[in-house]
Amino acid sequence: MEEMLGSNEMIVHLGPQHPMQPGPFRLNLRLKGETVMDAEVELGFIHKGIEKILENKTYLQGITIVDRICYLVALTNEECFVGCVEKLAGIEVPERAQYIRVIVEELSRLQSHLLGMGEYGEFIGFVSMFMYTIKEREDILTLIDMVTGARVTHTFLKFGGVRDDLPEGFKEKALPVLNNLKRVIDDYEEMFNTDRIYRERAEGVGILTADVAKSLGVSGPALRATGVPFDIRKNEPYLVYKDLDFKVCTDTAGDCAARVRVRLNEMRESIYIIEQCLDRIPGGPIFPVNSPYGRRTPVMRVPAGEVFHRVEDPRGEMGMYMVSDGTDKPHRVKVRGPYFPTLQALPPLIKGTTVADVAAISGSMDGCTSEADR
Amino acid sequence: MDARTIIQSLTGAFSEAISEAEVESPVRIRAYVDGSFAKEVCQYLKDSLQFDHLCSVCGVDYPKRNELEVVYHIASYDHPVVLTLKARLPRDSPEIESIVPVYWNANWYERETYELYGIMFKNHPNLKPLVLPEEMLGEWPLRKDYEGFPNRTARNLV
Repeated sequence: MEEMLGSNEMIVHLGPQHPMQPGPFRLNLRLKGETVMDAEVELGFIHKGIEKILENKTYLQGITIVDRICYLVALTNEECFVGCVEKLAGIEVPERAQYIRVIVEELSRLQSHLLGMGEYGEFIGFVSMFMYTIKEREDILTLIDMVTGARVTHTFLKFGGVRDDLPEGFKEKALPVLNNLKRVIDDYEEMFNTDRIYRERAEGVGILTADVAKSLGVSGPALRATGVPFDIRKNEPYLVYKDLDFKVCTDTAGDCAARVRVRLNEMRESIYIIEQCLDRIPGGPIFPVNSPYGRRTPVMRVPAGEVFHRVEDPRGEMGMYMVSDGTDKPHRVKVRGPYFPTLQALPPLIKGTTVADVAAISGSMDGCTSEADR
Repeated sequence: MDARTIIQSLTGAFSEAISEAEVESPVRIRAYVDGSFAKEVCQYLKDSLQFDHLCSVCGVDYPKRNELEVVYHIASYDHPVVLTLKARLPRDSPEIESIVPVYWNANWYERETYELYGIMFKNHPNLKPLVLPEEMLGEWPLRKDYEGFPNRTARNLV
Protein backbone atom coordinates (compact mmCIF):
# COMPACT_ATOMS: atom_id res chain seq x y z
CA MET A 1 0.00 0.00 0.00
CA GLU A 2 2.89 2.38 0.76
CA GLU A 3 4.16 2.24 -2.83
CA MET A 4 0.89 3.62 -4.13
CA LEU A 5 0.97 6.61 -1.82
CA GLY A 6 0.34 9.81 -3.82
CA SER A 7 1.01 13.39 -2.81
CA ASN A 8 -1.12 14.73 0.05
CA GLU A 9 -2.01 11.17 0.99
CA MET A 10 -1.34 9.26 4.16
CA ILE A 11 -1.97 5.87 5.66
CA VAL A 12 -3.94 5.53 8.88
CA HIS A 13 -4.20 2.23 10.70
CA LEU A 14 -7.47 1.61 12.50
CA GLY A 15 -6.86 -1.19 14.92
CA PRO A 16 -6.04 -3.96 15.78
CA GLN A 17 -7.58 -2.44 18.90
CA HIS A 18 -10.05 0.31 18.25
CA PRO A 19 -13.36 1.29 19.90
CA MET A 20 -15.25 0.93 16.62
CA GLN A 21 -14.30 -2.71 16.18
CA PRO A 22 -16.22 -5.78 17.25
CA GLY A 23 -12.94 -7.66 17.64
CA PRO A 24 -9.31 -7.26 16.69
CA PHE A 25 -8.59 -6.69 13.00
CA ARG A 26 -6.53 -4.01 11.33
CA LEU A 27 -7.95 -1.65 8.78
CA ASN A 28 -5.32 0.18 6.75
CA LEU A 29 -6.81 3.28 5.17
CA ARG A 30 -5.15 5.35 2.46
CA LEU A 31 -6.51 8.83 3.02
CA LYS A 32 -6.55 12.00 0.98
CA GLY A 33 -7.72 14.59 3.44
CA GLU A 34 -10.84 13.07 4.95
CA THR A 35 -11.63 10.78 2.03
CA VAL A 36 -10.79 7.08 1.99
CA MET A 37 -8.96 6.35 -1.27
CA ASP A 38 -8.20 2.71 -0.56
CA ALA A 39 -8.62 0.25 2.27
CA GLU A 40 -7.19 -3.09 3.24
CA VAL A 41 -8.16 -5.50 6.01
CA GLU A 42 -5.60 -7.52 7.94
CA LEU A 43 -6.87 -10.54 9.85
CA GLY A 44 -5.36 -13.13 12.12
CA PHE A 45 -5.12 -11.38 15.47
CA ILE A 46 -7.61 -13.78 17.04
CA HIS A 47 -6.98 -16.88 14.91
CA LYS A 48 -7.60 -19.91 17.08
CA GLY A 49 -7.21 -22.74 14.58
CA ILE A 50 -10.70 -24.04 15.35
CA GLU A 51 -10.76 -26.22 12.22
CA LYS A 52 -7.55 -27.99 13.23
CA ILE A 53 -8.72 -28.39 16.82
CA LEU A 54 -11.99 -29.97 15.63
CA GLU A 55 -10.02 -32.57 13.69
CA ASN A 56 -8.28 -33.57 16.91
CA LYS A 57 -11.35 -33.79 19.15
CA THR A 58 -14.10 -36.37 19.24
CA TYR A 59 -17.51 -35.35 17.92
CA LEU A 60 -18.88 -34.86 21.42
CA GLN A 61 -15.96 -32.64 22.43
CA GLY A 62 -16.40 -30.73 19.19
CA ILE A 63 -19.67 -29.23 20.40
CA THR A 64 -17.83 -27.26 23.08
CA ILE A 65 -15.30 -26.05 20.52
CA VAL A 66 -17.83 -24.70 17.99
CA ASP A 67 -19.38 -22.68 20.84
CA ARG A 68 -16.17 -20.68 20.92
CA ILE A 69 -16.24 -19.69 17.24
CA CYS A 70 -18.39 -16.76 18.27
CA TYR A 71 -19.90 -16.66 21.72
CA LEU A 72 -22.83 -14.47 20.62
CA VAL A 73 -24.25 -17.07 18.29
CA ALA A 74 -23.04 -20.20 20.08
CA LEU A 75 -26.40 -21.93 19.68
CA THR A 76 -26.58 -21.57 15.90
CA ASN A 77 -22.98 -22.74 15.60
CA GLU A 78 -23.93 -25.81 17.61
CA GLU A 79 -27.01 -26.32 15.45
CA CYS A 80 -24.84 -26.34 12.34
CA PHE A 81 -22.27 -28.77 13.76
CA VAL A 82 -24.85 -31.08 15.31
CA GLY A 83 -26.94 -30.92 12.12
CA CYS A 84 -23.95 -32.12 10.08
CA VAL A 85 -23.46 -35.16 12.32
CA GLU A 86 -27.19 -35.91 12.37
CA LYS A 87 -27.27 -35.88 8.57
CA LEU A 88 -24.21 -38.13 8.35
CA ALA A 89 -25.43 -40.63 10.93
CA GLY A 90 -29.09 -40.43 9.92
CA ILE A 91 -30.37 -39.46 13.36
CA GLU A 92 -33.98 -38.27 13.57
CA VAL A 93 -34.60 -35.51 16.09
CA PRO A 94 -37.82 -35.86 18.15
CA GLU A 95 -40.31 -33.08 17.56
CA ARG A 96 -40.19 -31.69 21.06
CA ALA A 97 -36.42 -31.33 20.87
CA GLN A 98 -36.77 -29.52 17.54
CA TYR A 99 -39.17 -27.01 19.08
CA ILE A 100 -36.86 -26.44 22.05
CA ARG A 101 -33.99 -25.84 19.66
CA VAL A 102 -35.99 -23.30 17.68
CA ILE A 103 -36.94 -21.49 20.89
CA VAL A 104 -33.38 -21.17 22.19
CA GLU A 105 -31.98 -20.29 18.76
CA GLU A 106 -34.52 -17.53 18.22
CA LEU A 107 -33.80 -16.21 21.73
CA SER A 108 -30.15 -16.22 20.77
CA ARG A 109 -31.00 -14.27 17.59
CA LEU A 110 -32.83 -11.69 19.72
CA GLN A 111 -29.89 -11.14 22.06
CA SER A 112 -27.41 -11.01 19.18
CA HIS A 113 -29.45 -8.36 17.33
CA LEU A 114 -29.89 -6.37 20.55
CA LEU A 115 -26.17 -6.29 21.20
CA GLY A 116 -25.45 -5.54 17.54
CA MET A 117 -27.77 -2.55 17.58
CA GLY A 118 -26.35 -1.29 20.85
CA GLU A 119 -22.82 -1.52 19.52
CA TYR A 120 -23.84 0.26 16.35
CA GLY A 121 -25.26 3.11 18.42
CA GLU A 122 -22.00 3.30 20.32
CA PHE A 123 -19.91 3.39 17.13
CA ILE A 124 -21.78 6.40 15.76
CA GLY A 125 -21.59 8.27 19.05
CA PHE A 126 -25.04 7.39 20.40
CA VAL A 127 -23.72 5.73 23.54
CA SER A 128 -27.05 5.66 25.39
CA MET A 129 -28.32 3.17 22.79
CA PHE A 130 -25.96 0.56 24.22
CA MET A 131 -27.37 1.15 27.71
CA TYR A 132 -30.93 0.61 26.47
CA THR A 133 -30.30 -2.57 24.50
CA ILE A 134 -27.96 -4.22 27.00
CA LYS A 135 -30.71 -4.01 29.61
CA GLU A 136 -33.20 -5.85 27.42
CA ARG A 137 -30.52 -8.32 26.34
CA GLU A 138 -29.97 -9.23 29.98
CA ASP A 139 -33.60 -10.37 30.27
CA ILE A 140 -33.23 -12.56 27.19
CA LEU A 141 -29.98 -14.02 28.53
CA THR A 142 -31.78 -14.88 31.77
CA LEU A 143 -34.33 -16.86 29.75
CA ILE A 144 -31.57 -18.69 27.84
CA ASP A 145 -29.81 -19.29 31.15
CA MET A 146 -32.99 -20.88 32.55
CA VAL A 147 -33.04 -23.44 29.74
CA THR A 148 -29.37 -24.11 29.02
CA GLY A 149 -27.73 -23.26 32.33
CA ALA A 150 -25.24 -20.84 30.79
CA ARG A 151 -25.31 -17.30 29.50
CA VAL A 152 -22.98 -17.47 26.51
CA THR A 153 -21.31 -20.82 25.78
CA HIS A 154 -24.06 -23.34 26.27
CA THR A 155 -23.08 -26.81 24.93
CA PHE A 156 -26.81 -27.41 24.99
CA LEU A 157 -27.45 -29.36 21.79
CA LYS A 158 -26.75 -33.07 21.58
CA PHE A 159 -26.66 -35.37 18.57
CA GLY A 160 -30.34 -36.18 18.18
CA GLY A 161 -31.82 -33.82 20.72
CA VAL A 162 -31.11 -31.38 23.47
CA ARG A 163 -29.48 -31.77 26.87
CA ASP A 164 -32.35 -30.66 29.06
CA ASP A 165 -36.07 -30.07 28.81
CA LEU A 166 -37.66 -26.65 29.25
CA PRO A 167 -37.86 -25.83 32.98
CA GLU A 168 -41.15 -25.59 34.87
CA GLY A 169 -42.95 -22.31 34.30
CA PHE A 170 -40.77 -21.27 31.37
CA LYS A 171 -43.69 -20.07 29.28
CA GLU A 172 -45.08 -17.94 32.11
CA LYS A 173 -41.67 -16.33 32.60
CA ALA A 174 -40.95 -15.88 28.89
CA LEU A 175 -44.16 -14.20 27.75
CA PRO A 176 -43.86 -11.03 29.91
CA VAL A 177 -40.23 -10.60 28.75
CA LEU A 178 -41.26 -10.95 25.10
CA ASN A 179 -44.19 -8.57 25.51
CA ASN A 180 -41.90 -6.01 27.09
CA LEU A 181 -39.42 -6.48 24.25
CA LYS A 182 -42.15 -5.82 21.68
CA ARG A 183 -42.91 -2.50 23.35
CA VAL A 184 -39.23 -1.62 23.53
CA ILE A 185 -38.70 -2.40 19.83
CA ASP A 186 -41.46 0.08 19.00
CA ASP A 187 -39.67 2.64 21.16
CA TYR A 188 -36.37 2.02 19.36
CA GLU A 189 -38.08 2.40 16.02
CA GLU A 190 -39.63 5.69 17.03
CA MET A 191 -36.29 6.87 18.37
CA PHE A 192 -34.53 6.01 15.12
CA ASN A 193 -37.23 7.64 13.02
CA THR A 194 -37.27 10.90 14.94
CA ASP A 195 -33.66 11.42 16.01
CA ARG A 196 -32.20 13.88 13.51
CA ILE A 197 -28.55 13.20 14.35
CA TYR A 198 -28.99 9.45 14.06
CA ARG A 199 -30.69 9.81 10.69
CA GLU A 200 -27.95 12.02 9.35
CA ARG A 201 -25.33 9.49 10.45
CA ALA A 202 -27.15 6.44 9.09
CA GLU A 203 -29.38 7.30 6.14
CA GLY A 204 -27.73 7.22 2.75
CA VAL A 205 -24.46 6.00 4.26
CA GLY A 206 -22.77 2.82 3.04
CA ILE A 207 -25.32 2.02 0.36
CA LEU A 208 -25.19 -1.51 -1.02
CA THR A 209 -27.27 -2.38 -4.05
CA ALA A 210 -28.66 -5.87 -4.57
CA ASP A 211 -26.34 -6.68 -7.50
CA VAL A 212 -23.22 -5.48 -5.72
CA ALA A 213 -24.15 -7.29 -2.49
CA LYS A 214 -24.69 -10.53 -4.42
CA SER A 215 -21.41 -10.24 -6.26
CA LEU A 216 -19.59 -9.57 -2.98
CA GLY A 217 -21.10 -12.72 -1.46
CA VAL A 218 -22.81 -10.92 1.42
CA SER A 219 -25.65 -12.65 3.30
CA GLY A 220 -27.88 -12.01 6.28
CA PRO A 221 -29.42 -8.65 7.28
CA ALA A 222 -26.88 -6.74 5.16
CA LEU A 223 -28.15 -8.55 2.05
CA ARG A 224 -31.83 -8.47 3.01
CA ALA A 225 -31.59 -4.70 3.50
CA THR A 226 -30.97 -4.49 -0.25
CA GLY A 227 -34.23 -6.28 -1.05
CA VAL A 228 -33.03 -9.86 -1.65
CA PRO A 229 -35.22 -12.26 0.39
CA PHE A 230 -32.44 -14.78 1.06
CA ASP A 231 -32.97 -16.63 4.33
CA ILE A 232 -31.86 -20.23 4.90
CA ARG A 233 -34.83 -20.77 7.23
CA LYS A 234 -37.12 -20.27 4.19
CA ASN A 235 -34.89 -21.41 1.29
CA GLU A 236 -33.76 -24.64 2.86
CA PRO A 237 -35.80 -25.22 6.03
CA TYR A 238 -34.21 -27.15 8.87
CA LEU A 239 -35.82 -28.16 12.19
CA VAL A 240 -39.53 -27.21 12.26
CA TYR A 241 -39.19 -23.88 10.47
CA LYS A 242 -41.30 -25.11 7.55
CA ASP A 243 -44.31 -25.50 9.88
CA LEU A 244 -43.89 -22.09 11.46
CA ASP A 245 -45.33 -18.88 10.15
CA PHE A 246 -42.87 -16.04 9.71
CA LYS A 247 -41.82 -13.71 6.97
CA VAL A 248 -38.41 -12.79 5.65
CA CYS A 249 -37.82 -9.12 6.46
CA THR A 250 -36.41 -7.03 3.66
CA ASP A 251 -35.84 -3.38 2.96
CA THR A 252 -35.01 -1.51 -0.20
CA ALA A 253 -32.67 1.31 0.80
CA GLY A 254 -29.56 -0.81 1.43
CA ASP A 255 -27.95 1.77 3.72
CA CYS A 256 -26.94 1.57 7.39
CA ALA A 257 -30.40 2.66 8.57
CA ALA A 258 -32.02 -0.08 6.45
CA ARG A 259 -29.82 -2.73 8.05
CA VAL A 260 -30.93 -1.58 11.50
CA ARG A 261 -34.58 -1.56 10.35
CA VAL A 262 -34.24 -5.12 9.05
CA ARG A 263 -32.83 -6.24 12.41
CA LEU A 264 -35.69 -4.56 14.27
CA ASN A 265 -38.27 -6.30 12.09
CA GLU A 266 -36.44 -9.61 12.40
CA MET A 267 -36.64 -9.32 16.16
CA ARG A 268 -40.42 -8.93 15.87
CA GLU A 269 -40.55 -12.06 13.71
CA SER A 270 -38.37 -13.97 16.18
CA ILE A 271 -40.73 -13.07 19.01
CA TYR A 272 -43.64 -14.27 16.90
CA ILE A 273 -41.83 -17.56 16.17
CA ILE A 274 -41.10 -18.13 19.87
CA GLU A 275 -44.75 -17.46 20.77
CA GLN A 276 -45.92 -19.98 18.18
CA CYS A 277 -43.44 -22.57 19.48
CA LEU A 278 -44.50 -22.05 23.09
CA ASP A 279 -48.13 -22.58 22.07
CA ARG A 280 -47.58 -25.59 19.85
CA ILE A 281 -44.73 -27.47 21.53
CA PRO A 282 -45.75 -31.14 21.80
CA GLY A 283 -44.92 -33.54 24.60
CA GLY A 284 -42.66 -36.52 24.17
CA PRO A 285 -38.99 -37.38 24.44
CA ILE A 286 -36.21 -34.81 24.00
CA PHE A 287 -33.79 -37.47 22.80
CA PRO A 288 -34.35 -40.37 20.35
CA VAL A 289 -35.41 -43.43 22.30
CA ASN A 290 -33.72 -46.14 20.27
CA SER A 291 -30.68 -44.22 19.07
CA PRO A 292 -27.38 -46.10 18.78
CA TYR A 293 -25.76 -42.91 20.03
CA GLY A 294 -26.84 -42.67 23.65
CA ARG A 295 -27.04 -39.43 25.51
CA ARG A 296 -23.76 -40.01 27.25
CA THR A 297 -21.88 -42.17 24.77
CA PRO A 298 -18.31 -40.91 25.06
CA VAL A 299 -17.12 -42.62 21.87
CA MET A 300 -19.37 -42.39 18.86
CA ARG A 301 -18.28 -43.45 15.41
CA VAL A 302 -19.97 -41.61 12.58
CA PRO A 303 -20.37 -43.39 9.21
CA ALA A 304 -17.96 -42.28 6.51
CA GLY A 305 -19.26 -39.63 4.18
CA GLU A 306 -19.43 -35.91 3.68
CA VAL A 307 -22.10 -33.31 4.18
CA PHE A 308 -22.59 -29.56 3.79
CA HIS A 309 -25.19 -28.18 6.17
CA ARG A 310 -26.41 -24.58 6.31
CA VAL A 311 -28.31 -22.71 9.00
CA GLU A 312 -29.38 -19.09 9.34
CA ASP A 313 -27.12 -17.30 11.77
CA PRO A 314 -28.19 -13.87 13.14
CA ARG A 315 -25.53 -12.49 10.75
CA GLY A 316 -26.34 -14.58 7.70
CA GLU A 317 -25.56 -17.92 6.20
CA MET A 318 -23.59 -20.28 8.44
CA GLY A 319 -22.40 -23.47 6.79
CA MET A 320 -20.21 -26.37 7.76
CA TYR A 321 -18.63 -28.92 5.49
CA MET A 322 -17.84 -32.11 7.36
CA VAL A 323 -15.91 -35.09 6.03
CA SER A 324 -16.07 -38.24 8.16
CA ASP A 325 -13.82 -41.26 7.64
CA GLY A 326 -15.71 -43.58 9.97
CA THR A 327 -13.64 -42.94 13.09
CA ASP A 328 -14.61 -41.08 16.23
CA LYS A 329 -13.09 -37.81 15.03
CA PRO A 330 -14.04 -35.78 11.95
CA HIS A 331 -11.54 -35.92 9.08
CA ARG A 332 -12.20 -32.31 8.15
CA VAL A 333 -14.57 -29.58 9.27
CA LYS A 334 -14.72 -26.40 7.23
CA VAL A 335 -16.53 -23.57 8.97
CA ARG A 336 -18.08 -21.10 6.56
CA GLY A 337 -19.01 -18.19 8.77
CA PRO A 338 -21.30 -15.39 7.60
CA TYR A 339 -19.07 -12.53 8.73
CA PHE A 340 -16.01 -13.65 6.74
CA PRO A 341 -17.42 -12.56 3.33
CA THR A 342 -19.07 -9.50 4.89
CA LEU A 343 -15.76 -8.33 6.30
CA GLN A 344 -14.16 -8.99 2.94
CA ALA A 345 -16.75 -6.68 1.37
CA LEU A 346 -15.83 -3.83 3.73
CA PRO A 347 -12.97 -2.27 1.68
CA PRO A 348 -15.00 -1.77 -1.53
CA LEU A 349 -17.86 -0.43 0.57
CA ILE A 350 -15.87 2.25 2.42
CA LYS A 351 -13.89 3.39 -0.61
CA GLY A 352 -14.79 7.01 -1.36
CA THR A 353 -16.45 7.70 2.00
CA THR A 354 -15.06 9.81 4.83
CA VAL A 355 -13.22 8.49 7.88
CA ALA A 356 -16.17 9.30 10.15
CA ASP A 357 -18.44 7.03 8.10
CA VAL A 358 -16.04 4.08 8.28
CA ALA A 359 -17.12 3.38 11.85
CA ALA A 360 -20.78 3.73 10.94
CA ILE A 361 -20.56 1.34 7.96
CA SER A 362 -18.39 -1.21 9.73
CA GLY A 363 -20.63 -1.12 12.79
CA SER A 364 -23.85 -1.53 10.83
CA MET A 365 -22.59 -4.92 9.59
CA ASP A 366 -22.79 -6.25 13.19
CA GLY A 367 -19.50 -8.06 12.98
CA CYS A 368 -17.69 -10.71 14.93
CA THR A 369 -13.99 -10.93 14.07
CA SER A 370 -13.63 -14.03 16.18
CA GLU A 371 -15.82 -15.88 13.72
CA ALA A 372 -14.05 -14.48 10.65
CA ASP A 373 -10.68 -15.62 12.01
CA ARG A 374 -11.82 -18.86 13.64
CA MET B 1 -34.33 -25.38 -11.16
CA ASP B 2 -33.97 -28.90 -9.83
CA ALA B 3 -30.91 -30.96 -9.16
CA ARG B 4 -31.27 -33.39 -12.07
CA THR B 5 -31.58 -30.65 -14.71
CA ILE B 6 -28.49 -28.97 -13.35
CA ILE B 7 -26.46 -32.18 -13.52
CA GLN B 8 -27.59 -32.91 -17.07
CA SER B 9 -26.78 -29.41 -18.21
CA LEU B 10 -23.38 -29.50 -16.53
CA THR B 11 -22.31 -32.92 -17.81
CA GLY B 12 -23.65 -32.05 -21.25
CA ALA B 13 -21.56 -28.90 -21.48
CA PHE B 14 -18.38 -30.36 -19.96
CA SER B 15 -18.53 -34.09 -20.68
CA GLU B 16 -14.74 -34.49 -20.28
CA ALA B 17 -14.10 -32.21 -17.32
CA ILE B 18 -16.94 -33.35 -15.03
CA SER B 19 -16.88 -36.83 -13.55
CA GLU B 20 -18.67 -38.80 -10.83
CA ALA B 21 -21.57 -36.37 -10.80
CA GLU B 22 -24.32 -37.51 -8.46
CA VAL B 23 -27.46 -36.19 -6.84
CA GLU B 24 -27.16 -36.58 -3.09
CA SER B 25 -30.53 -35.07 -2.18
CA PRO B 26 -32.91 -32.64 -3.94
CA VAL B 27 -30.80 -29.71 -2.73
CA ARG B 28 -27.30 -31.17 -2.86
CA ILE B 29 -25.19 -32.16 -5.88
CA ARG B 30 -21.66 -33.50 -5.88
CA ALA B 31 -19.22 -33.66 -8.77
CA TYR B 32 -15.53 -33.90 -9.49
CA VAL B 33 -13.97 -31.43 -11.89
CA ASP B 34 -10.71 -31.59 -13.77
CA GLY B 35 -8.53 -28.93 -12.12
CA SER B 36 -7.56 -27.26 -15.39
CA PHE B 37 -11.24 -26.59 -16.23
CA ALA B 38 -12.33 -25.28 -12.79
CA LYS B 39 -12.55 -21.66 -13.88
CA GLU B 40 -14.49 -22.40 -17.09
CA VAL B 41 -16.94 -24.62 -15.21
CA CYS B 42 -17.51 -21.91 -12.59
CA GLN B 43 -18.07 -19.34 -15.31
CA TYR B 44 -20.65 -21.61 -16.95
CA LEU B 45 -22.38 -22.24 -13.60
CA LYS B 46 -22.60 -18.54 -12.91
CA ASP B 47 -23.78 -17.49 -16.37
CA SER B 48 -26.14 -20.31 -17.31
CA LEU B 49 -27.32 -22.07 -14.14
CA GLN B 50 -27.91 -19.16 -11.72
CA PHE B 51 -25.14 -20.28 -9.36
CA ASP B 52 -24.29 -16.73 -8.34
CA HIS B 53 -23.25 -17.31 -4.73
CA LEU B 54 -19.95 -18.88 -3.71
CA CYS B 55 -20.37 -20.33 -0.22
CA SER B 56 -16.80 -21.33 0.38
CA VAL B 57 -13.56 -22.70 -1.00
CA CYS B 58 -11.62 -25.10 1.16
CA GLY B 59 -9.01 -27.80 1.01
CA VAL B 60 -9.12 -31.37 2.29
CA ASP B 61 -6.05 -33.53 2.77
CA TYR B 62 -6.11 -37.25 1.86
CA PRO B 63 -2.61 -38.52 2.72
CA LYS B 64 -3.51 -42.17 1.98
CA ARG B 65 -4.37 -41.34 -1.64
CA ASN B 66 -1.49 -38.83 -1.75
CA GLU B 67 -3.94 -36.21 -2.89
CA LEU B 68 -5.27 -32.84 -1.89
CA GLU B 69 -8.77 -31.81 -2.82
CA VAL B 70 -10.01 -28.30 -3.41
CA VAL B 71 -13.72 -28.16 -2.59
CA TYR B 72 -15.95 -25.40 -3.91
CA HIS B 73 -19.43 -24.97 -2.47
CA ILE B 74 -21.44 -23.02 -4.97
CA ALA B 75 -25.02 -22.00 -4.24
CA SER B 76 -27.55 -19.57 -5.55
CA TYR B 77 -29.55 -16.68 -4.19
CA ASP B 78 -32.57 -17.93 -6.17
CA HIS B 79 -32.76 -21.71 -5.80
CA PRO B 80 -31.74 -23.86 -2.81
CA VAL B 81 -29.44 -26.30 -4.66
CA VAL B 82 -25.83 -26.35 -3.45
CA LEU B 83 -23.18 -27.82 -5.71
CA THR B 84 -20.10 -29.37 -4.11
CA LEU B 85 -17.46 -29.20 -6.79
CA LYS B 86 -14.19 -30.97 -6.05
CA ALA B 87 -10.86 -31.01 -7.82
CA ARG B 88 -8.15 -33.59 -7.13
CA LEU B 89 -4.60 -32.29 -6.98
CA PRO B 90 -1.28 -34.10 -6.43
CA ARG B 91 0.05 -33.60 -2.94
CA ASP B 92 3.61 -32.60 -3.88
CA SER B 93 2.79 -29.79 -6.34
CA PRO B 94 -0.82 -28.69 -5.96
CA GLU B 95 -1.75 -25.99 -8.45
CA ILE B 96 -5.10 -24.81 -9.73
CA GLU B 97 -6.46 -21.82 -11.61
CA SER B 98 -7.90 -19.11 -9.37
CA ILE B 99 -11.64 -18.43 -9.69
CA VAL B 100 -11.45 -14.85 -8.40
CA PRO B 101 -12.31 -13.44 -11.89
CA VAL B 102 -15.61 -15.35 -11.67
CA TYR B 103 -16.51 -15.06 -7.98
CA TRP B 104 -15.08 -11.95 -6.37
CA ASN B 105 -15.35 -13.32 -2.81
CA ALA B 106 -13.17 -16.34 -3.61
CA ASN B 107 -10.22 -14.04 -2.92
CA TRP B 108 -9.94 -14.57 0.83
CA TYR B 109 -11.04 -18.21 0.71
CA GLU B 110 -8.22 -18.99 -1.72
CA ARG B 111 -5.69 -17.09 0.35
CA GLU B 112 -6.78 -19.09 3.39
CA THR B 113 -6.60 -22.39 1.53
CA TYR B 114 -3.15 -21.45 0.24
CA GLU B 115 -1.68 -20.71 3.66
CA LEU B 116 -3.26 -23.72 5.36
CA TYR B 117 -2.67 -26.36 2.66
CA GLY B 118 -0.04 -24.92 0.33
CA ILE B 119 -2.29 -25.07 -2.71
CA MET B 120 -1.11 -22.53 -5.29
CA PHE B 121 -3.88 -20.58 -6.99
CA LYS B 122 -2.56 -19.44 -10.34
CA ASN B 123 -3.33 -15.86 -11.42
CA HIS B 124 -4.67 -14.93 -7.99
CA PRO B 125 -4.47 -11.13 -7.61
CA ASN B 126 -2.93 -11.12 -4.13
CA LEU B 127 -1.83 -14.56 -2.94
CA LYS B 128 -0.37 -13.99 0.53
CA PRO B 129 -1.21 -15.29 4.02
CA LEU B 130 -4.49 -14.10 5.51
CA VAL B 131 -4.83 -15.34 9.08
CA LEU B 132 -1.39 -16.83 9.75
CA PRO B 133 1.82 -14.87 10.36
CA GLU B 134 4.40 -14.79 7.55
CA GLU B 135 6.70 -17.05 9.58
CA MET B 136 4.21 -19.90 9.35
CA LEU B 137 4.31 -19.95 5.54
CA GLY B 138 5.50 -23.35 4.35
CA GLU B 139 4.27 -25.18 7.44
CA TRP B 140 0.85 -25.92 5.83
CA PRO B 141 -0.75 -26.51 9.24
CA LEU B 142 -3.99 -28.15 8.14
CA ARG B 143 -2.26 -30.97 6.30
CA LYS B 144 -2.49 -34.22 8.21
CA ASP B 145 1.28 -34.68 8.53
CA TYR B 146 1.77 -31.31 10.23
CA GLU B 147 3.44 -32.04 13.54
CA GLY B 148 3.26 -28.61 15.10
CA PHE B 149 -0.11 -29.04 16.75
CA PRO B 150 -0.34 -28.47 19.65
CA ASN B 151 3.29 -28.11 20.70
CA ARG B 152 4.58 -25.61 18.18
CA THR B 153 2.57 -22.47 18.02
CA ALA B 154 3.17 -19.21 16.24
CA ARG B 155 4.82 -17.81 19.36
CA ASN B 156 7.56 -20.42 19.37
CA LEU B 157 8.30 -19.75 15.74
CA VAL B 158 8.80 -16.00 15.94
